[in-house]
Formats: sequence, C-alpha cells, structure tokens
Amino acid sequence: MDYRWDFSAVLVNRALLLEGLQNTLILGTTCLALGLFFGLFVGAARYSANRWLHDPASVFVEVFRNTPVLVQIMWFFFAFPIIAPFQINAFTAATLGLTLNTVAFSSEIYRAGLQSIARGQWEAGKALGMTYWQQMRRVILPQAIRRMLPAFMNRAVELFKMTSLASVIAYGELMHKAKVISTIAFNPIEMYTAVALIFFAILFPATVLVRRFETSRNVRS
Amino acid sequence: MGYEWDFAIVLRDFDLLWLGLVNTLKVTGLSLLFGVPLGLFLALLRLYGRWPIRLPAAFVIEFLRTTPPIAQLFWFFFALPILIGVEIDPFRASILTFSLQSSAFFAEVFRGGIQSIEVGQWEAAKAIGMNRNQTLRRIILPQAVKRMIPAFLERAIELMKTTTLVSTISYADLLYQANSIAQSTFRTIEVFTIAAAMYFVVIFACSVAIRRLEKHLARSGETIVH
Repeated sequence: MDYRWDFSAVLVNRALLLEGLQNTLILGTTCLALGLFFGLFVGAARYSANRWLHDPASVFVEVFRNTPVLVQIMWFFFAFPIIAPFQINAFTAATLGLTLNTVAFSSEIYRAGLQSIARGQWEAGKALGMTYWQQMRRVILPQAIRRMLPAFMNRAVELFKMTSLASVIAYGELMHKAKVISTIAFNPIEMYTAVALIFFAILFPATVLVRRFETSRNVRS
Repeated sequence: MGYEWDFAIVLRDFDLLWLGLVNTLKVTGLSLLFGVPLGLFLALLRLYGRWPIRLPAAFVIEFLRTTPPIAQLFWFFFALPILIGVEIDPFRASILTFSLQSSAFFAEVFRGGIQSIEVGQWEAAKAIGMNRNQTLRRIILPQAVKRMIPAFLERAIELMKTTTLVSTISYADLLYQANSIAQSTFRTIEVFTIAAAMYFVVIFACSVAIRRLEKHLARSGETIVH
C-alpha cells in the first residue's frame, strides 16, 4: 500500500465543507425541533383511550417506523410533488421525510415516558382540580421529560447521522459537498475520511454525554 | 387534483421489484451472518482485553456507531479500492460495510447482555473450577444470548432499513429497482408507494413477531436487555 495521502484538497475546499456542515446542522436542528414538537401530540394521541385519536396515530407511527427513512425521503422528493399542489425542493423533501420519521420515533419515547409516571400523579392533579392539560403540563410532563432525555438525545444522534441521506437527493449538506469535491479533486479517500471524522468529532462527545447522563440517573434512582 | 393513478403499469414489473426485495434480504442476511460473530468478538475484546486491545476495539465500535452509514459505504466503495488497488463491486462493498457497521451495534448488544449477568454466576463457576473462557462459553453466554434476542432482532430490522443505501452505489436492491422502474414508466408515485408498502409488509411483520417474542420471554421470566 503505497498510496500517498494528501489532505490538501480537503483543506483547500474547507469553505465548501463548512457550508455543507452548516446545512447539515440546519437540516438536523429543524427536523429535531419539529419532530419533538409534533411527536408530543402523536405520543399523547397514542396514549389516549379515545380510539379516534389512538388508531390514526398508531397507523402513522407504524408506517414511519417500519419503512426505511431513505424510502421516505425519496418518496417525498420524487413521488409527492406529483400530487402536491406546490413545488418541493430537496430541503423540503428531506425535512418532511426526516421530521415525520422523528415524530414517529419520538412519539414512542413520549408514550413510554408518560406510561412510566404512576397513575397516582394524575389522580393527585385531578384532586387539586386541574384540567387534563394542566395535569399534563405541570405534573406529568416535567417528571416524564427528565426520564425521556437520554432516549431523546440518542434519537438526536441518529437524526444527525440520517441527515447525510439528504445527499442522495442532492441537498447540499456535508456528505453531498464531499461527493462533489471528490469528483472534481479525485480524492475520495481523503474526502470521505474527512466527512467520517467530522461526524465522529461531533457525535462521539454527544454519545459520551448521553451515557454519562444515563449512568448518573441510574445511580440516583 | 387531476392525477390519474395507474398501478397496472407498475405491477407488470412486479417481478423486478420482487428481485429487488430478494437482493435486499440477501444483503441483510449475509451482513448478519458476518456481523453477529464479529460483534461478539469486538465485545469480548472491549470487555476483557488489556488496554492496548480494549481501547482500539472501543474506538472501532464507537467510530462505526457515530459515523453515517452512507459515508462508510462510500468509503468502502470509492476510497478503499484506490487504497488497496483492488476493484470492489457494489455487492462486496455493501456486505463489507454493513457487516462492519452492524457488528459495532451487535457488539454493544453483546456487551450489555454479558454485563447484565449477575456476578454470582461468575463466582459459582469459579467455585467449581471453571476458567474464564469456560465460564463465558458454558454459563454466561447461554444466559446472556437468551436475554439479548429481542435487541438483536431489532438491530436486524434496523440493518434491513439501512441496506436501502446500497441503491446509491447501484446495487439492485428493492429501492434501486423501484427507482429504475420509475424512470422507465414515469409512474413515480405508484412505484415508490408499492416499494414502500413492500418494505412495510416485511419489516412490520418482523416487528410484530419481535413484540410477541418479547411478551413470551417476559412471561417466562426472562429480563430483556435493550
């Protein structure tokens, strides 16, 4: 193996890569924020005893959990625009696919978190004359969210890895920029190694944090 | 919306989609075949190796877990052949990538399972004169594996979903076939919907089976490790 590694093209194109990283972060945080927000409602619907809420939410969750996320992104990019009354660019398609996927997975975390709170907490809230949403907001969620945090953080790490799939529909995130540069500079080795290292540098500390958080919680409880 | 759905055109090419599904299952199955034993090996290195072995093993596991699979696949398909001077076809690159990628996740499942076995089991084995390897093989692993089964199957499902990436390096899996049918028939929405439905049927069936198994194991008193 006498290949001579040459990272100069990576450094020369650092502005492009930085732009890609920025787009990765934009896509990731957008989908995370939207996914966690809407996930709460879907999770609450699945937790609910009313079957008009429960059943549609369950179908949605099962469909998005049991199909590959790349298929979801491709569907929103290639298929959905045909029936949608508006134009869909790569960012919108990726956001739709990744957000709905995150909604489905995070709703399960919300549901499990809600179920883990003892029944008595609801009853106590009710005894004080709180309405359903008051109980939820003031009593249940503050306790449940603390338990759900590690699961959410894991989800966020998965989501940021998944944003690289947007490169398949040519959204200019990190992976896509790397692909473009490597075809011009003929340096796939250095380019893809650099991308992997960048992701590792960002996500590894995050996973360490999650683990530390999990163990410190286990010790306390 | 004036779109006229026409599934007939796409269903004429159903055998192509079917072939794609078979290829998807082939990549998944082979990657499992290599990934599971490799995962056990990595887990043992990480658990019982001295630090010059333990730390590299931990690094490999964490690196494979925190980098996007698509970057790994492109690395093995576009970069590795230049580095070693050997041509690697899409099929081999896929198997290589997903065996390694899944092995890192399986390693963590194994580690969790092994660590969940009570210390008393180790002590009991030691008391009847077993060494570490014997204890692992005869006492610890049989119990640990039973607890890990649901987590394993969940990982296997994740793996199947991740294999859709092979379509990006032109391996003819289900997604790739759907894409090429879409390009020749212009029935994009029908073909992608059918492909998604095919994935759903297979993956959902597996999920339901896992949930049943979990309940069964819970009833028979086995704790489940995730």
